[in-house]
Amino acid sequence: MSALLSVDNLHVQFATYGGIVQAVRGISFSVNAGETLAIVGESGCGKSVTMQAVMGLIPMPPGKITAGTAHLRGEPFLGRSHLNGKAICGDEIGMIFQDPMSSLNPTMRIGDQIAETLEVHRGYSRSEAFARAIELLELVRIPEAAKRARQYPFEFSGGMLQRAMIAMAVACKPSVLIADEPTTALDVTIQAQILDLLKDIQRETGMAIILITHDLAVVARMADKVAVMYAGQVVEYANVDDLFAKSSHPYTLGLKLAMPSKESDETHTLQPIPGSPPDLFSPPKGCAYCARCPFAMQVCQREDPPAFTIASDHRSRCWLQHPQQSRPVSGLYRRTDEVTA
Amino acid sequence: MWLYTLKRLLQGVITVWFIATATFFGMHSVPGDPLSGERATNEVIRANLEARYGLDRPVTEQYFIFMGNMLRGDFGISYTQQNREVNDIIREHFPVSATLGLLAVLFAAAGGILFGALTALYRNRLPDYIIMFLVILGISVPSFVFAALGQLSLVNVNNVLGFSILPVAGWGTVGHMLLPALVLGLGTMAYMTRLMRSSMLEVMSADYIRTAKAKGLSPTRIFARHQLRNAVMPVITVLGPAIAAITTGGFVVELVFAIPGLGRYFVQAVQQLDYTVIMGTTVFYGAFLVFMVIMVDLVYSWIDPRVRLQ
Repeated sequence: MSALLSVDNLHVQFATYGGIVQAVRGISFSVNAGETLAIVGESGCGKSVTMQAVMGLIPMPPGKITAGTAHLRGEPFLGRSHLNGKAICGDEIGMIFQDPMSSLNPTMRIGDQIAETLEVHRGYSRSEAFARAIELLELVRIPEAAKRARQYPFEFSGGMLQRAMIAMAVACKPSVLIADEPTTALDVTIQAQILDLLKDIQRETGMAIILITHDLAVVARMADKVAVMYAGQVVEYANVDDLFAKSSHPYTLGLKLAMPSKESDETHTLQPIPGSPPDLFSPPKGCAYCARCPFAMQVCQREDPPAFTIASDHRSRCWLQHPQQSRPVSGLYRRTDEVTA
Repeated sequence: MWLYTLKRLLQGVITVWFIATATFFGMHSVPGDPLSGERATNEVIRANLEARYGLDRPVTEQYFIFMGNMLRGDFGISYTQQNREVNDIIREHFPVSATLGLLAVLFAAAGGILFGALTALYRNRLPDYIIMFLVILGISVPSFVFAALGQLSLVNVNNVLGFSILPVAGWGTVGHMLLPALVLGLGTMAYMTRLMRSSMLEVMSADYIRTAKAKGLSPTRIFARHQLRNAVMPVITVLGPAIAAITTGGFVVELVFAIPGLGRYFVQAVQQLDYTVIMGTTVFYGAFLVFMVIMVDLVYSWIDPRVRLQ
């Protein structure tokens, strides 16, 4: 079965005063209906840019998609606003953002902001759309929805605003929901509620979720598949169990070591990854992670590793995964010989 | 909301009282009085006149008399014009200034918002450069130059066409108002254009505009429903003072276009130390300005819901 949404070899760059930033350097992933794909990585690694490029939200110029394709149900849509009569943004693909406080129009009623999507994409009348907006607010479990719909964003709390954003994004029953760090600005208990809400809506509607996050705990809770991004590339791509149990890239290992765990014994201390990501004005010739990698070899500086297949649907961009490489590395999962490339 | 309105009105009354008091004592501290002219007046006649107008009494007493009269809405009779009550002067000439001023502000606001939004949308492209150049021109060239140039061009246009599309000067019809109002509003329009441009640029990069794009709204809809309302706030803030400044400051333009506005009387009164007219026009203009500022604040809270609850 072909994937619902797939992105192949996407390249995005930005022209700035300082030069050209290569923000996304060849990203590929796919997601099926009802599935959750998590895109993980540290700040500035290109997670948000990737998804905004797919949605066509990048201001061009300075941004530019230099290569790559994106398909929805097998049909290319990059650079188009409509596909088979349906709008991409807001209709086929919904999107929610990181900071709900600033992501909603401060001078427009919440209900009107939700209704607007329905008016534009479904041709609802104003009153129909507003009535539906109230139902949607109930769906995202906002109490007294009818009253709340007439209020303005400044009268809502952060968690409620994020719920309203979700209501807005799912108003037209999109087949894909992109959630760009939906819980980063919220406190932990609210985080859990929002994530549960997303899961519930996904179960009901069968939409795919692409979750952008830097929180591995959120990944473990939500994701079916994970793409770990570093310096504009996907360094490891696996289903969620394999990613944690069979981590095959040193960066994934580093992220895991830097994650707090429940066992607070003395053997487990948090280990930060030293250094900082490379300058994307002039990306390194070899592996981008080389300078921070504890297992770096000479080849890593010279050449960028290709994506090695570890198992079906499990890829890693690391020279250690080369079939002729046998240096022992503790904690790193290697392709076993039974699997053929 | 009612409490807010009431509070603002009370503040306004205090402000007007302060303006009246300051003007009164400021005016009396200027050497000379309405009776001192080019020719020396006979001592006896002068004393009689002073007694007649109450100018021989202590200034504080005059102040209380003036305040009492003002509260009853009576500003007295002009010292320099025959049998004219100050109230009549205001009643007769202020509507002219106000009409001209409001029309000018209308031009200024409409033009400012439109051009400001345009320059922001075409940022660093040709329309932006052209409009911003004109804005600098509008801010730096004084209005009497525009007034004269406007008249000159109008005369030429009328000559070429062989009939008069608009009158060059005078007052009475809508045709008379258009050119002076445009000239009077140019400076403010330029200022508002700059204001609108920067505010629009800020709004355009706001997170909620990205959300609107992600909702799949058309650029026109985003502009009309999301950007404009948020960007227009700073422009509205300066609207009140702008109305007052234009209405009261149109003196030069009124003179060039031979418009019987209030500004002329205001300036004449100051030159001749016509106490009652100075007080009447100043207090009236002051009250007008305060009232406009309050009005704008109320409109502002209607547009921006966040202001309402504070």
